[in-house]
Amino acid sequence: MTDVPAPEGAGATSASGRRGGLRDRHLKYLLVLPAVGVVVATAIWPLVDSLVLSFRFWKLSKSHVPGPFVGLENYLWALTEEPAFWNAVWVTGIYTVLTVGLTTLLALGVALLLAPGGRLRLTVRTLLILPFAMSPALVGVSFRFMFNPEFGLFDAFFGILLPPLADIGWLSDPVLAFAVCVMADVWGWVPFMTLVLIGGLAAVPSDSVEAAQVDGASSWRVFRDITLPQLFPVVMVVVILKSIFSLKTFDQIYMLTNGGPGTATQTLAHYAYFNGFKYYDMGFAASVAWLMVIPMIALTFAYTRFVFRDRPA
Amino acid sequence: MRRFWKAVRAVLVVLVALVMMVPIVWIALAAFKQHVDVYQLKLLFRPTLENFALVFDSPYHLGRKLLNSTVVSFVTVAIAIPIATGAAYSFSRFRMRGERVMFVMILATQFVPAVVIVLPFFLLFRDLGILDTRIGLILVNLSIVTPFAIWMIKGFIDGIPRDTEEAALVDGSSRLQVIRNIVLPMAAPGLVTAAIFCFIVSWNDFLFALILTTNKAVTLTVGLALFQAEEGDLWNLLAAAGIIIMVPMFVLALIIQKHFVQGMTMGAVR
Repeated sequence: MTDVPAPEGAGATSASGRRGGLRDRHLKYLLVLPAVGVVVATAIWPLVDSLVLSFRFWKLSKSHVPGPFVGLENYLWALTEEPAFWNAVWVTGIYTVLTVGLTTLLALGVALLLAPGGRLRLTVRTLLILPFAMSPALVGVSFRFMFNPEFGLFDAFFGILLPPLADIGWLSDPVLAFAVCVMADVWGWVPFMTLVLIGGLAAVPSDSVEAAQVDGASSWRVFRDITLPQLFPVVMVVVILKSIFSLKTFDQIYMLTNGGPGTATQTLAHYAYFNGFKYYDMGFAASVAWLMVIPMIALTFAYTRFVFRDRPA
Repeated sequence: MRRFWKAVRAVLVVLVALVMMVPIVWIALAAFKQHVDVYQLKLLFRPTLENFALVFDSPYHLGRKLLNSTVVSFVTVAIAIPIATGAAYSFSRFRMRGERVMFVMILATQFVPAVVIVLPFFLLFRDLGILDTRIGLILVNLSIVTPFAIWMIKGFIDGIPRDTEEAALVDGSSRLQVIRNIVLPMAAPGLVTAAIFCFIVSWNDFLFALILTTNKAVTLTVGLALFQAEEGDLWNLLAAAGIIIMVPMFVLALIIQKHFVQGMTMGAVR
């Protein structure tokens, strides 16, 4: 922040801060300064440093000092020479589309189901907070436990429902393991998204819904023509937010399958982690991590547009 | 017909509750099972507290991990909340140069993948010799917690009417006195809410602790890996550790229920 005199704030703030101590026009920057410092030191600096790192060749296992700059070589290597990178892109892409789609649809259903209130529903709503307060790493553990082929709860459940599915090695089959990862993620996020959507539903004016019902519109038409358009901005916010978190997925995957079997469930975050902290290829890991940042910037931009929608900030 | 649909809805509500609770209850039950019972699907078993004694004992020493998680989360919050409160007040009450840029920047950092952040910190901490320390972990946790806190607290301060503040200013109080005597008491419930939310976020962190700690400073979530032995997972112990991780967070989350959603969406949804 510079010392350029700032335009005075709105309202009475211009009349204040004359006596003793700090004037508002300095104080306001002083109050923000520590926060900006923290954000610069803990987020902006590592972001920039990672970018610099991504242009270097540096295997920590071979050298303890930073290696030479190699331009875009790490990126080119990832994009052209590494099938494992594209596998991770593919896994992350499908994972994101499936988890975002399923979470949104299910949450919309559950929100409509629970929105009307009543004792039972309010109790269930309170419970919705729990899965989201659970550490994602622990969610991974819990699902691995339930899908154990010998004594897992789900295995027994599906075994009774569909006998051919009994004693299947859920987590040793590439497709099933991927499905279990998606399931765990959806389980963790549907409750949160439901709560957001219930909030959104409460904001839909009830008189327009009632008017349509008096006019004889079917429940489906009311939902499609009145509720859904009103809910749309809220749905967009949660869809973008969920997309960001899906793209970053790491904790659950690490505990549930650790990317396996093979690389069937290896997301980009896991791939970057693996290259950085198993192979100690710092430059390459940084370039993969930065390739993840790019879609994130686009999503964040979209998100801020919705957040600032009706704010004069 | 109408009664039929009512019944269907009731069944669906119960089903939702069931699907939601099963993964939690099942792992919670396993924590009280004896080793032999874990490998069976019995709902009736002789409960035992043995697993909790085991995880706190050698070689697992979960108590140390519990202490690490508690200290790291607590100190992270203790640093983040005052810093965030100052910033939130300024963002709420004043116009500043570059305000919008700062605000968007703070929001955007929230969405940076943790891997990107942890790489430079790993190298820096290695050079400084603070890998595997609580201080290192606290520093990195601030990166995720501070932006959340700023957004939440700004929301609360926005909700406080300005009149009282302005009256006090006219009466000769300084801005800092106004903040201390009027704003902070009124924003207190909001500050507590933000602190609890940030505590949960910090407590549940996994990736930072996985990479930056190896032994002394290992936290609970990373400690889970202790029970994944070569000879197979020790499910009853994993579950006991799981209870210690999740139950305190459930209690905290229930305390701040409504605001939990607000915090996560950073005020985009009210």
